[in-house]
Amino acid sequence: MELRAYVVRRLLLLIPVLFGVTLLIFGLLQLFSPVQRASLYISDPKQLANLDQIIEKYHLKDPIWKQYGTWLNQVLHGNLGWSKVATMPVDNAIWHFLPSTLEIVLFAAPLIILGGIYLGTKAAANKDKGWDHVTRVGAIIGWSLPTFWLGLMLLMIFYGFFHGLLPPERLSTSVQITVDSPSFHQYTHLHTVDAVLNGNFRVLVDALRHLVLPVITISVVNIAFIMRLMRSSMLESLGKGYVLTARAKGLDENTVVNKHARRNALIPVLTISGYLLASLASGVVITETIFNYRGLGWLAWQSAVRLDIPTVLGFALFTGVLFVLTNLVVDLLYARIDPRVRLGGQAK
Amino acid sequence: MIDFKFIWYQMRRNPVSLAGIVIVAIFALVAILAPVIAPTPAGQRDAYLIPREGYSPVPQPPSWAHKFGTTQGQYDIYYGVIWGTRSAFKVGLAVIGSVLLLGIILGSIAGYFGGIIDEIIMRVTDVFLAFPALILAMAVVAALGPSLNSVLIALIVVSWPAYARLVRGDILAIREEDYVEAARGVGASHFRIITRHILPNSIYPVFIMASLDIGAVVLSAAALSFLGLGSPEGYADWGQMIQFSRNWIVGPPGHPLAYWYTVTIPGLFILFFVLGWNLLGDAFRDILDPKLAKR
Amino acid sequence: MNDLLTIKGLTVRFHIYEGIAPALQDLDLAIGQKETFGLVGETGCGKTLTALAILRLIPPPGKIESGTIMFNANGGSEPVDLLALSEPDMRSLRGSRISMIFQEPSAALNPVFTIGDQIAEAILLHRPEEVYQQAADAVDQRLANAAGPVSILARPVWSVERRLYRQLARNPESVWLKFVGRVPLVRRLLWRISVEAEKMAAEALKDVEIPDAARVVRQYPHQLSGGMKQRAVIAMALACCPKLLIADEPTTSLDVTIEAQILELLRKLKVDTEASILYITHDLAVAAQICDRVGVMYSGTLCEVATAEEMYGNPLHPYTKALLAAVPKPGVEPSPIRGFIPDPLSLPPGCRFHPRCDYATEMCSKETPTMREVTPGHLVACHV
Repeated sequence: MELRAYVVRRLLLLIPVLFGVTLLIFGLLQLFSPVQRASLYISDPKQLANLDQIIEKYHLKDPIWKQYGTWLNQVLHGNLGWSKVATMPVDNAIWHFLPSTLEIVLFAAPLIILGGIYLGTKAAANKDKGWDHVTRVGAIIGWSLPTFWLGLMLLMIFYGFFHGLLPPERLSTSVQITVDSPSFHQYTHLHTVDAVLNGNFRVLVDALRHLVLPVITISVVNIAFIMRLMRSSMLESLGKGYVLTARAKGLDENTVVNKHARRNALIPVLTISGYLLASLASGVVITETIFNYRGLGWLAWQSAVRLDIPTVLGFALFTGVLFVLTNLVVDLLYARIDPRVRLGGQAK
Repeated sequence: MIDFKFIWYQMRRNPVSLAGIVIVAIFALVAILAPVIAPTPAGQRDAYLIPREGYSPVPQPPSWAHKFGTTQGQYDIYYGVIWGTRSAFKVGLAVIGSVLLLGIILGSIAGYFGGIIDEIIMRVTDVFLAFPALILAMAVVAALGPSLNSVLIALIVVSWPAYARLVRGDILAIREEDYVEAARGVGASHFRIITRHILPNSIYPVFIMASLDIGAVVLSAAALSFLGLGSPEGYADWGQMIQFSRNWIVGPPGHPLAYWYTVTIPGLFILFFVLGWNLLGDAFRDILDPKLAKR
Repeated sequence: MNDLLTIKGLTVRFHIYEGIAPALQDLDLAIGQKETFGLVGETGCGKTLTALAILRLIPPPGKIESGTIMFNANGGSEPVDLLALSEPDMRSLRGSRISMIFQEPSAALNPVFTIGDQIAEAILLHRPEEVYQQAADAVDQRLANAAGPVSILARPVWSVERRLYRQLARNPESVWLKFVGRVPLVRRLLWRISVEAEKMAAEALKDVEIPDAARVVRQYPHQLSGGMKQRAVIAMALACCPKLLIADEPTTSLDVTIEAQILELLRKLKVDTEASILYITHDLAVAAQICDRVGVMYSGTLCEVATAEEMYGNPLHPYTKALLAAVPKPGVEPSPIRGFIPDPLSLPPGCRFHPRCDYATEMCSKETPTMREVTPGHLVACHV
């Protein structure tokens, strides 16, 4: 029963937080004049001609709470305004650019998680010995690297010096033509997956070539983060009594570390993975900017620089809600994995 | 409370942490001596504007006149990175200082009074923490108009929740201690109890986290400048300078690395600055963690 | 004499920041077959370290600097020096010939695995042939009682299973079989192994008198009470029939009533199994109840060793006398021992106890006393 109570409580907490998220965005919105805000309520630039009508209709000069009501109503109907940068409604824009970003994340996430866990475990098991020092130094440098600088340097070397080996953007122009042609079916809009589904090797190779550098750029910082976390969590786990018991049972060091210590150490790492996703989101913005990779991050950057308010705020709202939900999922997963939370119940 | 011999022993065992102190010290020196080692040209009012020699867009390689070369628009890189150290410290200290203040005040109120006040403040921090940092910062800067001050404000907005939570946690732990009970029994006012009894004992971890974060803040500020949302063109700011170099990462055919100095040099400054602070923070953590220390 | 365990000249030192701390100094100890030996002393005198040294689990920065520990597992045959064994050989002894149970049962059990899993782990590690044989027998049973259409389809599968189990029972270390066992489909066929192991774990739980063993086997540690957890830990230690059971203050964290139950259990197990027990405690009364012989330790050295009756009836070492006098008794004023336990980094020269001893002489501060036999079976390390 404890688990159910936990879940219910978590869900209840969701509501005020989501509320707060919308309030925050709305607050930022109010920093603009009514004229600027008008572009948030339309879905077609031509409507801007009737500015006065729009201001009247959406109460843009009325008391705040009334405005909040209308705005919230708008948002819940999926209308986030018109995006100058993308030349389409904001919600369409987000949907349109999502697959590109998803492709990077799909490759980067397993690399980060598995790599970080593996390196962290290794470092903790060999504390203060060679391997530990090497990975620690690597992690600290990785953690201190400005992502954008790393991306640029990688581009300089692998694109400039190696004559276009690993190029920026998503696809080479010739391949782009293939992808856009009617004979290539875009099932998922993820170029790698579609290439496999279409049996087109050339597209696959090209897409992968363009993905290598962005994935590396975004992974380095995050691997360092996970690695350090895993290391300290493992060190704590290795100091616990059950590790000594496991050794006293005659188990070899490998089993002790990987089976007994690691499973306990993973629990706090899992709870932090919400932060990891947030870090990935920020990283994606920078990475896509550097490589001119047209995904959500690129969209966010362009709209921020060109002061395309509907897109910026719409994107912020989108990510805010998305992360509140993701954190909820992580919390629920944690409740399921840790038997102490899952089964509740105390001793008889 | 601070055993210097022990600290020295730990330093010797862990040369990496020593490197952290040295690096930060060097940067501090550079920042302080900026007017000496990179003197502002006569007649220029704002020292943070990088002097430019001509208006040619093509960067020039390092030479006697320009020790690190010039970037697009003939801005002197050497001048830029030296004074950029100053602005980095400015940004870092300003943001961390404000965030500490905000965090301590709100965190203490939440932790000490508990109950509904605590719940409200915690929900507010939840809301702010729900956004990925960079994205929220971008939204704030976009709303306020790009400038260095907007960047400062945006970073403060993004960073304060973590500190408030940390302080609150520490205060919750200390609140139930006996000496607090005693102070209350004597009739001390809330304010007095907080400032004279609770805070001095819970502050240490917060300061450690703050010193670590200076590196992270500078990194974020550089990122925002790089994205074009920070200081204006020609300002001595590392991120800004890297943004300039974007168009020049690939040189003419035959000399692909011709303009390496535009990207590499400012980037190395950022890297080592953040690295130094991170190493320092790691060193603090190792020293003050009793479990790991006595080995 | 065919002692089970003979420790000679054991020295353990810790290399820490402030210097080198001698934790155990020239320790000599002998435990006979089927004997319960109590190791008594105040907290921090090195009792746990002795136990860890036997298992070679001393955590760094501690190091075993010298000494031998002769372990005589099989009665008449060659005793083995535990300190000279290779690590894999040592590991095969841990948990199977020598087991240890700890003070805090909650800390000793891994919270994310079931009780059954943890006990079965030990069984599968040290007695795999039995498990495999039981699995093979179970399949035989199935085949014998098979009837109906389903069994016709399942027969070939069962035959393969039986083959595998028999092979494993004959040759548990086989590399090829281990490899095959990892192939996903084959892996599923080996499910009976975990079932049998769990059954054996439940048997072990029954031996320590845990009620409803079949259910407890599937539970997680946090769902059990302190006493039950400790029983489970004991079951885990005894699962492979060790010759020597080391119990490090097993009842210190339990209620007195539970403590009595556990002691009763240990007494019963003493009789049922043929194991010797090294019982570590700071509680003299408990030692008196359950031990045949008792040794008193102080600050890393043994002061006195004797049978329980001798020790309590006729204590010779001043420390032992002081300890017995310090026990609170109704109607008598308890008399604490004056002074404090010495800091390992600045030990008093000569006999370590002499600053606090009422009978100390000149010689006590100069020469460290060695153990000498005063009466048969009663050894003391004292100049007085």
